[in-house]
Amino acid sequence: MRRRSSLPVTFLVPTLAILLVLSMVPTLYAIVIALQNRELSAPGYSWVWFSNFADLFLDRRFLNAVWVSVKWEVVTVVATMAVAIGLGVLMFEVAAPRLRNIYCLLFIIPVLLPRVSAAFVWKFAYHPLYGIATYPYRLITGGLIFDPLSKASTALFAVASVDVWQWGLFFAVIVLKLLETLPPQPIEAARLDHAKRWQIHAYVTLPMLKAPLISLMFVKMIESLRSFDLIYVMTRGGPGVATETLDMYAFSQGFIESGKVSYASAMAVLMMIATVITFTFLWKRVQA
Amino acid sequence: MRPYPIRLGRLIAKAMLALAGFLAVFPLVWTALNALKNNVDIITRVPRLVFTPTLANISYILGRDSVLTGLYNSVVACGSAVLIGVALGLPAAYAVARYPNRFAGDIQFFVLSLRFLPPVAVAIPLMVIWLQVGLYDTLPALIVTYSLLTISVIMWLAIPAFQGVPKEIEEAAFVDGYGAYSVFWRIALPVAARSLAGAIAFSFVLVWNEFLIALMLSSSNAKTLPIVASELSQQGMNVPWGILNASVVLLSLPPLLFLGVLSGFLNSVFRQKKT
Repeated sequence: MRRRSSLPVTFLVPTLAILLVLSMVPTLYAIVIALQNRELSAPGYSWVWFSNFADLFLDRRFLNAVWVSVKWEVVTVVATMAVAIGLGVLMFEVAAPRLRNIYCLLFIIPVLLPRVSAAFVWKFAYHPLYGIATYPYRLITGGLIFDPLSKASTALFAVASVDVWQWGLFFAVIVLKLLETLPPQPIEAARLDHAKRWQIHAYVTLPMLKAPLISLMFVKMIESLRSFDLIYVMTRGGPGVATETLDMYAFSQGFIESGKVSYASAMAVLMMIATVITFTFLWKRVQA
Repeated sequence: MRPYPIRLGRLIAKAMLALAGFLAVFPLVWTALNALKNNVDIITRVPRLVFTPTLANISYILGRDSVLTGLYNSVVACGSAVLIGVALGLPAAYAVARYPNRFAGDIQFFVLSLRFLPPVAVAIPLMVIWLQVGLYDTLPALIVTYSLLTISVIMWLAIPAFQGVPKEIEEAAFVDGYGAYSVFWRIALPVAARSLAGAIAFSFVLVWNEFLIALMLSSSNAKTLPIVASELSQQGMNVPWGILNASVVLLSLPPLLFLGVLSGFLNSVFRQKKT
């Protein structure tokens, strides 16, 4: 019954055109820069084609950064989902509606914080001498020093804990809301069969929520790639290169250490190709 | 009578939840307390709960030009980017939601895929471009860059919000002789307003919290508050912890103002799914 209208064209075309320009210009230009040998300090440049990419694969620090990024993705995504599902189920089982609302509000707070703020809050909490998070350790051991951020073996986990603090608690709220949308009949049926509570969730409710939980994981995988601010403030990639992810390394190559913009851009382009391929593939699988 | 172990289990479960709730806010409360402390009360081996509060840190922060400039830049850059996002994103989302065409799926995927782009990959070329155009380290450059973020996020979240508006209301308005545009203005926008407010608040929080792009696109004039706050920590050996904590509090307040709007938004999203 709706008559033909010019609305879809006037509403969509300008916006999509602007989005396309704003996204394609930097994307294509990133590739162009990656094929040159630009440096921040020098105005001149020439085309070097793929030599930046070739150099990358001989660069041990780059390979380390790839490895750190993979570790970071796995640790933060797995821990976030575990915390979210664990706390979501706990709230569903033992919290009355009013208490649920209070917990939901509390659990949303950390994710709203700027990552810079979250990073500072925890950087100070992890301070070996004055930190509130390391205080229990000092108390128990009678003043021994525990410095998680400056030990290569613990730094990544210490930074990851902040990421999980922000996202795991927030996702717990979403898991709870998902559980609340489920029809109650299957749960009651399982209860009549004397299933234990954890069995009900492991075999009934969580499998019913498989699709939204996978989407949630997908969102976290994308967000985990944006960990730059957290790492920048808390460790700057250190100690050594223990927490140097790809974006951190690209940033320090491009701006802090040597100003090799093209080299950094080559790294960014590889990241872009990897993420676009991976996520497009995953997205099509999730949608199917 | 319930068997004993189950009650114990419930008790442990409640304790774990309470602990998680405590962990969610305590670090922030502690930061806020530290913002009110003198340095001697912060740098103690045993955390100090009782202290004489001082407003020195807060007034120092609010009196510094760099902080005020950062605050101004953040407000202008984020505010303008959100306005642009609203002006362009909402109509586009409505068109996708209400006038389905064969590209709708592709458009939604394109908008989402903008989220995959690593920020470094966007920031490096933009830096070179803005330098060449002569707009590097200016607010307009930051606003344009952030608009990409706000338009796509607002579109992504507003499409389901518009789809949630009952079709019958719009049909009735058409029958009453409204045109397509006035249906959008007078019916769809007001009816979806609450969900849309959530989407807009979300996009604001996202750009307010943004760090990497602002870091790479500004060197002195256009620094946003997160950058200024991160620089405060690098003031030599004597870290001014009280001042740092005060700046963290200042930086965190605006997003927290939206706590109510965003939790209402979450509720409305999941209520829609239920029906």
